[in-house]
Amino acid sequence: MMIYSIISLNKNPEKLKAYLQGMKGILNTDLYAVFYNEIAVVVSDLKRANLVSDSVNALAYGDVIEKLAKQFTLLPMRFGSVLESRELIISMLEKNYYGIINNLQKVDNKFEFGLKVFCDTEKVLAELKIKLESDDKTETKSLKETQNSVYRDWVEKKLKEHRREEQLLSYVNTIIEDITNNLEKLDSVSKFKKMVTETTIIDALFLLDKPKKEDLVQTIGDMKIKYPGLNFVLTGPWSPYNFVDITIKE
Amino acid sequence: MNHNVVDQSKDITILELLDRVLNKGVILTGDIVISVADIDLVYLGVKLMLCSVETMEQLKLGKSVPEKL
Repeated sequence: MMIYSIISLNKNPEKLKAYLQGMKGILNTDLYAVFYNEIAVVVSDLKRANLVSDSVNALAYGDVIEKLAKQFTLLPMRFGSVLESRELIISMLEKNYYGIINNLQKVDNKFEFGLKVFCDTEKVLAELKIKLESDDKTETKSLKETQNSVYRDWVEKKLKEHRREEQLLSYVNTIIEDITNNLEKLDSVSKFKKMVTETTIIDALFLLDKPKKEDLVQTIGDMKIKYPGLNFVLTGPWSPYNFVDITIKE
Repeated sequence: MNHNVVDQSKDITILELLDRVLNKGVILTGDIVISVADIDLVYLGVKLMLCSVETMEQLKLGKSVPEKL
């Protein structure tokens, strides 16, 4: 059985049963639910030999989860989660019940959004050039007084690179602080990765209450206007893939 | 919703969704079974699911899998 997600029933199993009527999973298999107390697992019967790990199946899998997330609070499973029988699924739910419930409470009625901020690094550094040049002069003078060799050129080059990185990181921190301050009112949970690549300066994730998504969109829209040299790419709403913290034991 | 702010281009949506279903979400411990073209049935440890579709393609073509996996 391919497992798609674990759903919070919220005392209404009939809603899930009705929603799954006619819904299809990977390879056009019928979706149905296995129930245990206040939770259920959405599954479809799939022969092992047919479980091909390709992008078509992975996207079909993700599509099922995103459709379910529009109606239910859920924990999305990673692609490839399989258990052999209904009995094993019930046993898995029984063993992990409290961990599952805790995680469902954490993401109850919330969406995940992703934000990537891209920039032309050279352009940003050029805008910061005045400060860099001023630092360069001080540093070069100091080096000339103390060094006189090829080594000095190498040190100068390294120092310049280091200062560029520092300047860029400082700039990124300013933007993150700005985003964080503006999102404070939304009471969201945020995760930031800085300088993921030379051009992706921020890779952020937000978990926030479903009714607040328009506020997030507004906030990021304001940031776009404030930083015209940066490219803000906001995606979502997504199921809370990045905010579940559980490894389920069979 | 302001469509100028939320990116809805197909390519980005696909990439973001693939990243999530392949690399995130709840992990079920134990072995999983995947069949890859030309290899009828392959038993893989769940850690291997951290790999991307490209890595699976490498497996399919008989190329070596990066050590980190």
